[in-house]
Amino acid sequence: MNFDAKPFLPFSNVENGLMHWLLVFGSFTGAIFAATILIALGIYGVSGPVAVMSRVRQGLHDFVNSSPKRIWAIAWLTIMEAVRRKALLVFVVFAFLMMFAGWFLDSELRADLQVKNAVSFALTTVSWLTIPVLLLLSCWGLPEDIRVRSIHTVVTKPVRRNEIVMGRILGFASIAAGIVAMMGAIGYVWILRQVPNNASLICRVPVYGTLQFLDREGNATDKGINTGDIWEFRSYIEGGTKASAAYKFPIDAPVDRIKLESRFEAFRTHKGRMGQSVLVRYVLVNSTKDLRVPLDSFEIKEFNLNEHYLERKLSFYDETRMDKRTVDLFDDVVDQNSLTIEVQCLDAGQYLGMARPDFFIRLPDRPFAVGYFKAVLGIWLLTVFIVSTGVTSSTFVKGPVATLLTFSLLIIGQGFREFMIKLITGVQKGGGPIESWYRLVTHMNDTLELPDNIGIKIMQSIDNFMLGGLWLMQHLIPDLSSFVMSPYVANGFDVPWNVAIFRSLAITIGYLVPSLLIGYYSLTLRELEAK
Amino acid sequence: MIEQLTAQQRKLAYLVGMVVLMLPIIVLGMPATDEADSGGMLAKLRQENDLGESTLGKVDPTSATMNLVLLGMRGVAVNLLRMQLDTQRDQKQWAQMRATTESVILLQPHYIQVWRYLGWNLAYNVSAEWDAVEDRYFWVKEGAKFLMQGAERNRLDPEVYWDTGNTLGKKIGRSDEWKQFRKFFKEDPDKERYDGGPDSEINPDRKDNYLAAKDWFLKANEKEEHHEQHIMMDCLFRSYPARSQLDYAEALQREGQFDETTRKAWDDAYHDWVDVFGQMRFQTGDCEIFMEAPASESAMEQIVSASGKDRSHVEREIDLYQNVSNYRFWRTKAHSEKQLNTTRVHSDLFEGEELFKKGDIDAAQEVLESGLGRFKIMLEAYKELGSDDSTMEEGLWGIMLWQKIYQLKNQVQPEVFPLKDLWEKELNRVPNLQQDFSRKYGSS
Repeated sequence: MNFDAKPFLPFSNVENGLMHWLLVFGSFTGAIFAATILIALGIYGVSGPVAVMSRVRQGLHDFVNSSPKRIWAIAWLTIMEAVRRKALLVFVVFAFLMMFAGWFLDSELRADLQVKNAVSFALTTVSWLTIPVLLLLSCWGLPEDIRVRSIHTVVTKPVRRNEIVMGRILGFASIAAGIVAMMGAIGYVWILRQVPNNASLICRVPVYGTLQFLDREGNATDKGINTGDIWEFRSYIEGGTKASAAYKFPIDAPVDRIKLESRFEAFRTHKGRMGQSVLVRYVLVNSTKDLRVPLDSFEIKEFNLNEHYLERKLSFYDETRMDKRTVDLFDDVVDQNSLTIEVQCLDAGQYLGMARPDFFIRLPDRPFAVGYFKAVLGIWLLTVFIVSTGVTSSTFVKGPVATLLTFSLLIIGQGFREFMIKLITGVQKGGGPIESWYRLVTHMNDTLELPDNIGIKIMQSIDNFMLGGLWLMQHLIPDLSSFVMSPYVANGFDVPWNVAIFRSLAITIGYLVPSLLIGYYSLTLRELEAK
Repeated sequence: MIEQLTAQQRKLAYLVGMVVLMLPIIVLGMPATDEADSGGMLAKLRQENDLGESTLGKVDPTSATMNLVLLGMRGVAVNLLRMQLDTQRDQKQWAQMRATTESVILLQPHYIQVWRYLGWNLAYNVSAEWDAVEDRYFWVKEGAKFLMQGAERNRLDPEVYWDTGNTLGKKIGRSDEWKQFRKFFKEDPDKERYDGGPDSEINPDRKDNYLAAKDWFLKANEKEEHHEQHIMMDCLFRSYPARSQLDYAEALQREGQFDETTRKAWDDAYHDWVDVFGQMRFQTGDCEIFMEAPASESAMEQIVSASGKDRSHVEREIDLYQNVSNYRFWRTKAHSEKQLNTTRVHSDLFEGEELFKKGDIDAAQEVLESGLGRFKIMLEAYKELGSDDSTMEEGLWGIMLWQKIYQLKNQVQPEVFPLKDLWEKELNRVPNLQQDFSRKYGSS
C-alpha cells in the first residue's frame, strides 16, 4: 500500500475537492429540477411547474425548520428498533472470533509481521461484522415499517419527512458508533495481548519529500530502471555508477537530530557477496554551497525499515578538499528550508529499488492508540456512508433492492472503481460489453484487430454509448478506498488526517447531503399505504 | 383419524415418527470412532475406500467449517483468494501473502497440487525476493513447514512427502547459498529463539539437511506402496532416499571433510543404492525387474521365466531402467568413494588448493602431486568415472593448480606428469575451466 497518497485539499483541488462536488451535485440537481419542470409542464400545463416550485419551497421550509428534538426522537426509536431486532448479537460473534482468533494467526512469523497480521485481523473483523449488520438494518427498516404499517404511527405525528430520514440515519449512525467503539476498544485490548514480547506497537509520523532520479551518467530522469517487477511502484538505480535517487525533504525548524527511515529493495544481477546485503550510502547535498556530505555506508535490511540518525554536527572526509571537516546540519547542509539526501547503491552490478514513500524523516512517534482509533473512526465513517445510502434507497425501493443497491455501491466503490476507470479510458483491452461478448463467442483475444465492417461499427457505437453511462456512474460512485485505514496502522504508521480522515469525512458528508434530499422527496411522494 | 387424536397424542405420534426416521440415519450415517469397524454404513464405506477426511490425514476443523459457511461457494472464494495472493505477490506483501496461503489451504486441504505449488512458491519464489541470506532461509523454512503441514493433512499421498524431502535436500543443499543454508539447518540464524540450535519444527533430530530429507523420501516411498504418485517414473521416485544419502556424502566432501564420517557416509550410500534401491522391484509392463538382477544369473533366469519374455528383452528393460536412474554410474561412484584411496584423492586436492591459497606453494605442489597420482589409480580402478563431468573437472582443476605452481616458480613443468593422459583426452573442457581458474587465481 502507498502510505503517501495525495493529500486531500478541499478548497484548492478542483479534481477532488469541494468544487468538484459542487459541480457534480449542482449539475445533477439542476438536471433533475429541469426535467421535473418540463414533465410537470407537459402533463399539467402551467400549474405543473407551479406545483413543483411549491414542493421545492416546502422542502426548503421543512429542512430549515427541522427540529433536533424530533430528529432525536426518531433516532432513539431507530436505536430501540435495532436493539429489538437483536443487532447487538453481533457482539457474540465478535467475542467468539476474538476468543479463538489467536489459534489461527501464525505465531511463528517474524514479530513485526505477527503485529501486522494481528492489527489487520482486529480492524477487518470490526468492519466485516459491523458493515453487514448496519447495511441490512438501514435497508430494511423503512420498507418493513411501511409493510407492517407501523410507519403510520410515526407519520401521523407532527414530524416532517426529512426528520424521519435524518432521524433514521442518526439512529443507525449512533448504533454503528456504539458497536464500532465497543469492538474497537475490545480489539485494542486483544491486540495488546496478542503482540509478542519482542515486538512493539508503533505509530510513526513520517515527513515525505520529493524524489528525483539520476541515471548511470548522472543525468536527471523521471524514473529509474524497471528490473522486471509487474508492480511499477519502485524504480531502481544501478550500483557502482553515477545513478542515484535524490530526496528533498521540507525542514521546518532546527532540531538536535533528525531520524531517517528507509525501506529500499535490492535486486541482484549476480550472486555478489553471500552473507552480505547490498551496500547503500546517503550523501547530504547542498548544491548552493556545493557541499556533499557522505555518510557511512550500510547494508540494507529488505522489507524492513533501516533507521539512521543525523546529528546536528556532522564530521566527514571531504574528498575535494582532501581533509576532514565538520559541518552544521542546519546552517551548512539545509538549503532554503529543505534537506536533500542522495541515495546511492555501492555494489557494482546490483540494483537498489525505491519509491517516494520508501524514505522519510520520522518525527517523534504517536501512541499506537492514536493511529488505531483513527482507523476505527474510518470504519465508523464508512458505516455512516452505508447507513445514509441504505436509508435513502429504502425510501424509494423495497428492502432487498435497497440492500443490493447499497451493497453494489460498497463493492464497486471499494474494489472496482479502478477497473471502471480502465474501461472508460480504454486502458482495459477488449472493448465494451458487446465487443467483449463478440470476442468471447468468436474466440478472439483482446489483442486481435476486429474486422472492419458496418456490424462492428454499430457494435462499437452501442458500446461507446454504454461506456458513456459508465462514465456517468464513475462520477456518481464514490472512491471508498480512503475509508480503509487499517493498512496504515498494521504497517506501523499514523493515519494522516489530510490523506485519509478528511477525505473520508468529505465523502461521507458529500453523499449525505444528496441522500437527505433524495430521501426526503422520495418519502414525501411515496404512497405509504402500498406494501 | 388424525383429527380424532388429541394434541398431546399427535405430538407423541410425531415424536415416534421422528425416532423411527432417525433409525436409518443412524444405521447409515453414524460417524466412526477411533475403534476399528465402528460407525454407520457410510462411515465404514469411507474407511474401506480411504475417502473420509480422517483417513486422508489430520483434519482441521476450521476447514470443514469454512466449507459449510461458504455454502457451495468454495470455488468462488478460492478464486478470489488466489487473485488476492497474486496481487500480494506482485506488491511484495509477504506477511499477508503467507496468511492468504493459509486461507487458500483451509478451503482446499486435500488438493495436492495446491500444497505443492504454494509450498514451492514460499521456499523458492518468495525466498529469492529477499536480499539477506537469513531472510531467504526463513522463507525456505516457511515453504518446508508448509509442505510438512500438507503431508500431515494428506498422509496417504506420497507427493507432498517427496516435495518436503526435495525442499530440505535440494533447496537447502544445492542453492547458491548452500553453505549458509546447510549451516543454518543445524544452527538457526535466529539464535535467540532457537538457543543456538536448529529450528525444531523442521529439524527436530538435529540432522544434516540431506539426512532429514532422506527421512521424508523414505516416508514418501512408504506411501507410494499404497498410493500412486504422478511426479516421475517409479524407479526415479524410489531412488531418492539413496540419492539423498549420496548427496549427503558429496556435501561433506564439498565442505572439505575427508574423515571417517565421510567414508562412512559413502559406505551407507553404497548400501542404500545397491542393497536397498538395487533390490527394489519395478513393474515394466512386461516383467518385474530389479536393478541388481544382472549381477545374479539365478535372478535373471527367474525374471525371464516369470515374464515369459526372452532374455534379451529382459536385459533391455533392465538396461533402460538403469540408464534412467544412472544406476551403474552411482554404484561405481559410491563404491569408489568408500575406498581410502579415493578419500585421499579428494583430501589431497582440497588441501593442495588450500595451501596454494595460503601461498605455501612448495607444500601445495607436493600434496597436489600425491593427489594426482592417487587420482590416476582411482581412474584405473573405476573406468566408468571417466565419463563423469565433476570427476574430470576435479582432476583438471588439480592439474591447473599444479601447472600454476610451476609458472609461479618460473620453472618448466615436467613433460610427464601423473594425469597427462586425462589432460590430453579432456582438452576440450579446459578453456571453460581455465576461465574460472583465471577469474579466481589470475591468468598466466
